[in-house]
Amino acid sequence: MSEPRTILTVSELGVERAGANELSGLSFSLAAGESLTVLGDASSGKDALIRVLAGHGGRDDVLTGTIGYGDGAALPAAKRAKPPVRMVYLAGAAASPLNPHASVLSQLTQILARRLDTPRSSAREELRIALERFPDAPVFADLDRKPGAFTAPELTWALMATAIAQAPDLLIADHAFADLSPAAIKAAVEALRAEQRRIGFALIYGARGLKTASYLRGRMIVLRQGRVVEEGSFDKLASGQSHAYTRTLFKSLTKPTDAAAPRSATRGEPLLQVQGLDLRSPKDKGPKPRDGISFELRRGASLALIGEEGSGRRALVRALLGMERFAGGRVVMDQVDLSILSAAMSSRLRRRIAFITGADDALDPRMTLWDTVDEPLRAHLHLPRDLIAGHRETALKRVGLASYDGRQPVAELSPYDKRRLQIARAIVGAPFLAVIDEPLRGLDAFAQSIMIELLEDFRRQEGPAFVVITADVGVAQVLAEDALFLKDRKVVERGALREILKNPKDEETRRLIDAANL
Amino acid sequence: MTAPRVAPSLHGVLRIIGWVGLGLIAVAVSLSDFLATAPADATAVGPLLAAPTEVFRFGTDILGRDMFSETLHGLADTIRSALPGALTTLFAGALFGFVAARMPRPFALGLRGFMGIMAAIPALLLAILMIGLTARGWAGIAAGLSAAPIAFVRAFERAQRQERAPHSAYARATGISAGTLMRRDLVYEFTDTFLSSAARALAAVTIVLSTVSFLGFGAVPPHRDLGLMIAAAKPYLLHAWWTAAFPAAALVVVILFARLAAGLDEGERA
Repeated sequence: MSEPRTILTVSELGVERAGANELSGLSFSLAAGESLTVLGDASSGKDALIRVLAGHGGRDDVLTGTIGYGDGAALPAAKRAKPPVRMVYLAGAAASPLNPHASVLSQLTQILARRLDTPRSSAREELRIALERFPDAPVFADLDRKPGAFTAPELTWALMATAIAQAPDLLIADHAFADLSPAAIKAAVEALRAEQRRIGFALIYGARGLKTASYLRGRMIVLRQGRVVEEGSFDKLASGQSHAYTRTLFKSLTKPTDAAAPRSATRGEPLLQVQGLDLRSPKDKGPKPRDGISFELRRGASLALIGEEGSGRRALVRALLGMERFAGGRVVMDQVDLSILSAAMSSRLRRRIAFITGADDALDPRMTLWDTVDEPLRAHLHLPRDLIAGHRETALKRVGLASYDGRQPVAELSPYDKRRLQIARAIVGAPFLAVIDEPLRGLDAFAQSIMIELLEDFRRQEGPAFVVITADVGVAQVLAEDALFLKDRKVVERGALREILKNPKDEETRRLIDAANL
Repeated sequence: MTAPRVAPSLHGVLRIIGWVGLGLIAVAVSLSDFLATAPADATAVGPLLAAPTEVFRFGTDILGRDMFSETLHGLADTIRSALPGALTTLFAGALFGFVAARMPRPFALGLRGFMGIMAAIPALLLAILMIGLTARGWAGIAAGLSAAPIAFVRAFERAQRQERAPHSAYARATGISAGTLMRRDLVYEFTDTFLSSAARALAAVTIVLSTVSFLGFGAVPPHRDLGLMIAAAKPYLLHAWWTAAFPAAALVVVILFARLAAGLDEGERA
C-alpha cells in the first residue's frame, strides 16, 4: 500500500508580532487523512499557527521558517504564497462567524459560491447535498433564517456542511466545537471523521480543552508560550505525560468512572424540598403532567442537573430560587415555602445563595475587582471596611487573584479570571447553596483543571450544598454525588450518580453517559 | 497582571480637545471684565460701524460699541444663562430618566410615554412656551427643561438595558436588592456618562437659548447675550459683517467644543 500524500509540511515556523515572540521553532508534517490537534491556551502560539496557516495573518506578523503544501517545494513562511492545495477554514459557532443580520442560507451560499467559483444556484445545491450527509444538521429549507434563530449545534452543523462541500485537502478547524455539549461534540467529531475517511482531507484542530481531542484521537501537539511542550498520539499522552504542564491539562479531562470514592460530605437537615413541581408557566393551559418534579437536597449535599440545552435545567433552578412562578408544586427552601413569600422576602432568602457560571457576562463589567468581591458583604452584612478588606484579601488569595490590581474593571479580565472572581465572591458570601452552571465552558484545559480544584476546595472549606447544571456527566461526577437527568423539562432518571453510571435505564441518560465516556 | 494600557482613541483625543476648549472658554468668561477693553454695553467707544482695525480688533457696531468687548460680555452672559439650563437638563432629564426606569412599571411606562411625546416637540417651541408661561429671566431654565425630554428618554433606555443585563439577573439571584442595584447603576451612570451628558446638555441649551434670544424671547437688554447681539446686527449684516460674524463665531466655538467634549455624540437637540 502506498504512503498517503503529504498535505502540509511546517518547518521551524516562528511568528513574532509587535516585538513579542508568539511561536518559535514549530515543525510537523501532516498527511492526507491524518488529524492533528494543537492544544494550548490563548498565549500558547496555537492561535498564531492557525492564523498563519489559514492566511489570516496581517503585515504585523514577522514569520520565519518554511511551509510546504502537497508535493510542492517548501517556501519561506513570510512569502505568503497561495497554497496549491484546497484549504478550508472552519470556525466555531461560538465565535459568531456569520453576520447576525443576514440569513444563514444566503451567507453560506455566498461563501461556497466564492470558494468553488460557481454560480449561487450550484452552491446552494452543493450545500443542500452536504447538509443531507449529516443526519443531525438542520434541513436546507430551515437555513433561511438569521444566525440568532439557530442553536450552537445547528450552526456548527451548517458551518461544517459548508466546509465539507468544498471537498478540502486541508481543513483547519479553529475551536469549531467549542462550547458544545459532550454529546454534540461527539456527534460532530464522528461525522467529521466519517467525511475525512470519505474525502481524505488532513485536519488541524485548534483546541483549548481536551474534550474534542479525546474524541478525535489522532496526533497532538501541546503548546505553551510559543513552544512545543509535548507531542505524540492522544492515546500515548493520555496514558502518561512526561511534562508537568501536560499532566495539569489532562487533569481537566473529567470522565465517568465507577472507581470514584464516595464523598464524605456531611449531610444535614433538608435545605431544599421540592414536591410535584410543574415547570410550565402558570398561564399555560395545556394538559397537566402526571408527575411533577420531586426531590430533596440536604445541607452540604450535591445534586447535578444533567441535560442538554433546553432540557429545563435552568428553568428548574429559577423555580427553585423563587425567581420564576411555576404552574404547580411546592418548593421549600431552608424550611420556608417559597410560594408564600413576597418578591422582597424571596430576595432576602437568596442572600445565602452563590452563583458560579460559565457565562462571561455574569459579573458587572463596570465594577472593579475589589467591588465585585465586596458587594455581598456591603449589601447584606454592612460590615466595616477593614473587615470587608480582610475577607476580600483571603478570598482573592484562595483563587489566585490577590496580586491583581484591585481597581481593574471586570471588563478587562480574561474569562478564566472572571470565573475565579465569581468563586471569590461566592467564598465571602458563605453561602448555604451554590449553583454551579457549566463552570468549565469556554476555558482552556489548564484553566479547567484549576477551576475544578478551586470548586472542590470551595466545597470542602465552606461546605455549601452544590447544584451543578451541566451537560457533561464527567463534570457532574467530579462535583456532585446525586443527579437528575432531564429531557424536555421532565426528569428521566434520578438517583446516586455512581449507581446511574453503572446501570443507566433511560435512553437519554445512556446517550449522555456514552458521550462523556472515553 | 494588569491589562496593557490602550492608546487613546480618536474619540478620546477629541474629548480632551473639547474639554480643554471649554476650560479656556470658562477662563475667558470668568476674566471677561478684565480682558474686555470696554464695559458691557458702553456706547460711543469708537466710530460707528468701524471695520476691524488694530485698535478695534472686532470693529464697532452702530452705537460705536467695541465688538471685541461686546462679544466677550455676550459670551459670558450666554454661558452664565446656559449653565443652570444644562444642570436642569441633567437633573430633570438624565438623572430623573435613570431613576424613573426603576419605578413601578405602570408609572415608569407612563412617564416614558409622556416624555417621548414631549421629546417629539421641537425644543425651541417648548422653550418659548415655557418662557411665555413664566418670565424672560427664566430663559436658561426654560431652555434646560426643553432639552430635558430627550435626555430623559436616553437615560431611561440606558437604565432599562442595565436592568435587563445578565449581570443584574445574576445579582438578583444572589439576593442583591433592587435598591443596591440601582445605587450601583447610578454610580456608574454618573462616572461613565455624567461628563459627556453635561457637555451634550450645554451644547443643546446654548443653541436653544441663543435662538430664543435671537427671536426676542430671551435675554433682556441691557444684558446682551450672543443670540441678541446677532439679532441686533441684522440690519447691518450686508455692509458691516463683523457685527454678526464675531458673536456667531463665538457661539459656534462654544457649541463645537461642547460637542467635542461629548465625544461628538448626537444627543439632545434644539
